[in-house]
Amino acid sequence: MASTAYINDINYTIQDGETILSFVRRNLGKELVPTLCDAPNLDPFGSCRVCSVDVALVKDGPAKSQASCHTPVIPNSYIYTHSDRIVKLRKNIIELVLTDHPLDCLTCEVNNNCELQSVAAKVGVRNVRYPEGKNHLDRKKDLSHPYMTSDFSKCINCFRCVRACDEVQGEFVLTMAGRGFDSHIVKSYNNSFFESDCVSCGACAQACPTSAISDVFESKSIVADKKVRTVCTYCGVGCNLEVSVLNGKVKSIQAPYNAEVNQGHTCLKGRFAFSFYNHPDRIRTPLIRRNGNLEPATWDEAYDFIADKLTEIRQKYGPDSIAGISSARCTNEENYLMQKFIRAVIGTNNIDCCARVCHSPTALGMQKAFGTGAATNSIEDLKYTDCILVIGANPTDAHPVTGAKLKQHALKGKTTIVVDPRRTELAKFATYHLQLKPGTNVALLNMMLYYIITEKLEAKEFISNRTEGFDDFCSHILKLDMVEMEKITGVDKELVRKAAIAYATAPNAMSFHGLGVTEHTQGTFTVMLISDLAMITGNIGRKGVGVNPLRGQNNVQGAADMGCQPHQGAGYMNAYDPEINKLYEDYYKRSIPLGKGLKIPEMFDASIAGELKALWLMGEDVVQTDPNTNKVIAAMDNLELLVVQELFLTETAKYATVILPGASFLEKSGTYTNGERRIQKVQNAVDPLPGTKSDGEIMVDIMNRMGYAQEPYDPETMLKEISGIVPFFKGVTWNNLGDNGKQWPVREDGTDTEILHTESFTRGLAKFHYFDFKESAEIEKNGKEYPYIITTNRELEHYNSGTMTRRTGNVKILTEDVLMIHPDDAARHLINDGDMVCVESERGKVDIKAKITDEVKEGILSTTFHFPEVMLNIITSDEHDSEALCPEYKVVAVNIRKSKGQYKVKQ
Amino acid sequence: MGRKLLTENINVPGIQSLSVYRQQGGYETLKKALGMTSDAIVEEVKKSGLRGRGGAGFPTGMKWSFLAKPEGVPRHLVCNADESEPGTFKDRYMMERIPHLLIEGMAIGSFALGAHSSYIYIRGEMMYVFHILQRAIDEAYEAGLLGKNIMGSGYDFDLYVHCGAGAYICGEETALIESLEGKRGNPRIKPPFPAIKGLWERPTVVNNVESIMAVVPIIKMGGDEYAKIGIGKSTGTKLISACGHINKPGVYEIELGVPVEEFIYSDEYCGGIRNGKELKAVVAGGSSVPVLPKDLILKLANGEPRLMSYESLSEGGFATGTMLGSGGFIVMDEDTSIVKNLWTFTRFYHHESCGQCSPCREGTGWMEKLLHKILDGHGTLSDVDLLWEIQSKIEGKTICPLGDAAAWPVASAIRHFRHEFEEYVKNPQNIKKDHHYYRVNNISPEFA
Repeated sequence: MASTAYINDINYTIQDGETILSFVRRNLGKELVPTLCDAPNLDPFGSCRVCSVDVALVKDGPAKSQASCHTPVIPNSYIYTHSDRIVKLRKNIIELVLTDHPLDCLTCEVNNNCELQSVAAKVGVRNVRYPEGKNHLDRKKDLSHPYMTSDFSKCINCFRCVRACDEVQGEFVLTMAGRGFDSHIVKSYNNSFFESDCVSCGACAQACPTSAISDVFESKSIVADKKVRTVCTYCGVGCNLEVSVLNGKVKSIQAPYNAEVNQGHTCLKGRFAFSFYNHPDRIRTPLIRRNGNLEPATWDEAYDFIADKLTEIRQKYGPDSIAGISSARCTNEENYLMQKFIRAVIGTNNIDCCARVCHSPTALGMQKAFGTGAATNSIEDLKYTDCILVIGANPTDAHPVTGAKLKQHALKGKTTIVVDPRRTELAKFATYHLQLKPGTNVALLNMMLYYIITEKLEAKEFISNRTEGFDDFCSHILKLDMVEMEKITGVDKELVRKAAIAYATAPNAMSFHGLGVTEHTQGTFTVMLISDLAMITGNIGRKGVGVNPLRGQNNVQGAADMGCQPHQGAGYMNAYDPEINKLYEDYYKRSIPLGKGLKIPEMFDASIAGELKALWLMGEDVVQTDPNTNKVIAAMDNLELLVVQELFLTETAKYATVILPGASFLEKSGTYTNGERRIQKVQNAVDPLPGTKSDGEIMVDIMNRMGYAQEPYDPETMLKEISGIVPFFKGVTWNNLGDNGKQWPVREDGTDTEILHTESFTRGLAKFHYFDFKESAEIEKNGKEYPYIITTNRELEHYNSGTMTRRTGNVKILTEDVLMIHPDDAARHLINDGDMVCVESERGKVDIKAKITDEVKEGILSTTFHFPEVMLNIITSDEHDSEALCPEYKVVAVNIRKSKGQYKVKQ
Repeated sequence: MGRKLLTENINVPGIQSLSVYRQQGGYETLKKALGMTSDAIVEEVKKSGLRGRGGAGFPTGMKWSFLAKPEGVPRHLVCNADESEPGTFKDRYMMERIPHLLIEGMAIGSFALGAHSSYIYIRGEMMYVFHILQRAIDEAYEAGLLGKNIMGSGYDFDLYVHCGAGAYICGEETALIESLEGKRGNPRIKPPFPAIKGLWERPTVVNNVESIMAVVPIIKMGGDEYAKIGIGKSTGTKLISACGHINKPGVYEIELGVPVEEFIYSDEYCGGIRNGKELKAVVAGGSSVPVLPKDLILKLANGEPRLMSYESLSEGGFATGTMLGSGGFIVMDEDTSIVKNLWTFTRFYHHESCGQCSPCREGTGWMEKLLHKILDGHGTLSDVDLLWEIQSKIEGKTICPLGDAAAWPVASAIRHFRHEFEEYVKNPQNIKKDHHYYRVNNISPEFA
């Protein structure tokens, strides 16, 4: 029998472990018991005491007042939410709080959206009986930060900001100083927001019940015409956002608490970095290159120009002289249309997308191991895991919301293994940090596998029931020499052994990986070895385990799902298989090519060789982001037609024949699929800027212009079309996606899938693969002359080439790319902090400002390519993953010297 | 003469040192304890009826038996030496004079609880006592009484002293634990209780200095024998720090059950009221417990004499009784202003409230301000009612008992001495302004 208790003398059933507050709220709604220090995404704290209720053990018996938020319900007790003394108590508390709070509600930014105000109204404080005394109304505002603001005269000491900073973000910037009446919030060492270690996630501002902490966009003010729920366009976490729109413009963004992905949290990019969308730099009209100059044109002129030119090139050189690169930043629908346009309208398989340069090895490697190239589990599973293994990923910067959750895991003292050449934020809190030499992932994972086998920790039952190829694999691994591996990786083998044991003995272990795994010549192999680790320990197919790639871009998963790669069409079906081809032909009602298509790096080669004549880029800045910039520029120069759909005049757009002004995520609708296979609704908050069109609309226009009758762009009809061909989208409709989307595969009846491979693997049995470590050709060829290794990374404040984030306040927080260099290396070259350093590779040289840090080991350098002033990719190499052709951004042989900065690109 | 169990050797010259302490039979009880099973020790403490000497009076043996013992998780005994209650100074007195008694008690207690590392959390202001303790611990380590395999028993035990930073709140056990972990000393919400999740989320027992010291005679003489001392459920001896307007202030070890009247007036203890004055009121157990007027502190409501015991002092509830508390016995003579004295107490709680719970953070401040207003001669009758109302909204409404501690003095002063408040309000011209009052408020008498 379930136990029960009474609320105001009516009997209700208790759920296990419930507090009085959750018990009351579950049964009688959120409004009945007022609270101030309680917040949906924070642990109970019990400081405001406004939630107090009377609890008696017998009906109308002697009662004790208890703070309902942290007191467990006693079975058969009688809870009185509004007894006389409780009503008086609440009134008195609020009255006391108001003695130290300015009563300037009418001019306060949170007027009408202030929890203190509404609680005061609800408990009915009519006057404040306390005589005037000392107060804190004279505290100064802090307006030092581009985003965060504080006005602590309005602080009510509820600790919500402090707890948000600790429990949600894990940054520990905010703290309470002083005690009693003198209690006050302090940022770092009593700094301003700007000087503090604040990462501007805004969790404190959202948590603050008043306007004591807020932001420059006044996100909590109720001034808005409408609020639109959509999905963030930056990383692959897929945070849900609530966009406030005022007078047709985006006013501010907050994170909805009921979002399954981000539970009311997001980072400074999602929350604050939106002002790029109507930046003066936005391209607002199509541009056609005439006499060497990009000149404004009408949409009709641009479409006609492109259609004519493409038709001409196709007639002259055949359809394979045309290629398209789609964008993992665009919606599923737009990606689907792009590949459909290239395949069905142009008639070639020359379609690829930017997943090529990030997670193509993940898709390929996991397909080979398990049969499906996607995360096996959900981020939610972090709640159920005992051990996390993070390889080649810096989630606190690159996937901040997931990163914060991983950091919380580490902060709680749960086993955390980080494999990374840099001492990342997460590595600082990790149980084991295996700081390997860049490019030696395969050797290191082989070591872990070796020790799991020699320690006899393999999951025998799982291996025999659900996998194949183990015996072969095992005998190969056992032949390895650990001393040699230790030398290759530079990591103490005893440490690796301990980490391997920790991973293998954890009841549930979950792995995460990022571009530090994929952007290597052995990227796909590394992904398969990570899969081996999961298989050998049986960590797959249930809650709290699995292999979980941290997708770089918002829709990397989706772009690949939609068929934006040469060898697989929409739904990952083999584009080179004549049987399957028929299926596509029937569906697209056109003949679809069977010939092999080009991958991105091959497109550049083909262009330089004169075989590729036309290239269509949907929002892709290949010049700044693809490796070996000079080669990419040569490829662009050699084209007869370069069409670029863009928001801004990017480095690539400067080489375009035609530029079509696209629309940003705030101006379009569709769906994105995040890193955990969750298809979520993107809904336009504002109309596209005058003169611009959504990328989907552009695709539809050009398809029609070239004789293919495609229905007008609309996410609902597009999703219907997609679900007709993509098997795992079968049950997806625009309407049933709801607020939190669905994780594919979605069955016809609409049920979705949180965990893959629970009963069987997509390929039947999972397969063990074995690979030897092989030094990158870059090091073999250039390692002697260029003894340093530079590895690229990412900073929290900027996103990829920074076209968007550099046009927001983020640029005031992080102003430039810097070169991380170990103190000993710096000393050897007489480099001081802040000096310009010339970094030279076989391809070229760039100048970057030095930042001396022991986050990198001696001999290793690291930097970002967020700013075109540096154009780091001038020095990166042509080496690629042997299987998926993902470029090796992470290992570049370079030399350094102190410089005066003459190689800095002049803007 | 009552029996002395803790202070028996306190006046032996050099008792601070290990050698003299051992000459007096020190650490023999530890040796005995190490030969017992831990359950047997806990059983003796249970039988002794020892109740927590920090103020709450919770049975120590029961507290020990509640300690969770999950496999593979270390446990800890923490000694609460953050003695900061105004009027209470017994722990400091004991630690500075006979530090090894505490160390021996800590070793026995930790052995009984299966703790291998334990902590003494000492009030930051008692820096010199910290050094005394540390010196004693160093001596004990050298002599093999602490550290690996103590006294050859195979039991490893490490003891640390940790200095607080000067916050009364850290005497509350969960705030103490937070502070010991290096965090801001804010109380934790309960459950979970420290016995389940205490220091570093491990099962922890927090005991007062005197409680831990009392374990030594209990094991030495046996729980049953100890329980014979005292009266009813108030067994054993208790240290009382007596202060105020008495002839002989100091720390006294009494057998529980001594009549209050005898304690105040006999030459063995306080020696009567200073300067032959009349007794006005007593705060019997540290500043937090209710103040009682002469007639209520000396006699129960039924006319029987009130005794120095847990039960007798609280007889009659807060209407006519008070609490034994921490044993801080503050005596006030006929010239004492209850209102001014209350203001001093309230100022303390205002200063020491951690600021976590709104009723206490704001309420303690307003209580002080209102008392200040009354003492300044600007008070009204409604201020007295407001004072009553604020205290009633603090008591039992906060995470930790500091709220209660701040509320009770106010409630009892108004309950028993309302006429005095009314006098201040009605005839402000009669308010005497003494030097102390002006100094604390940084105002000079002429501007008052």
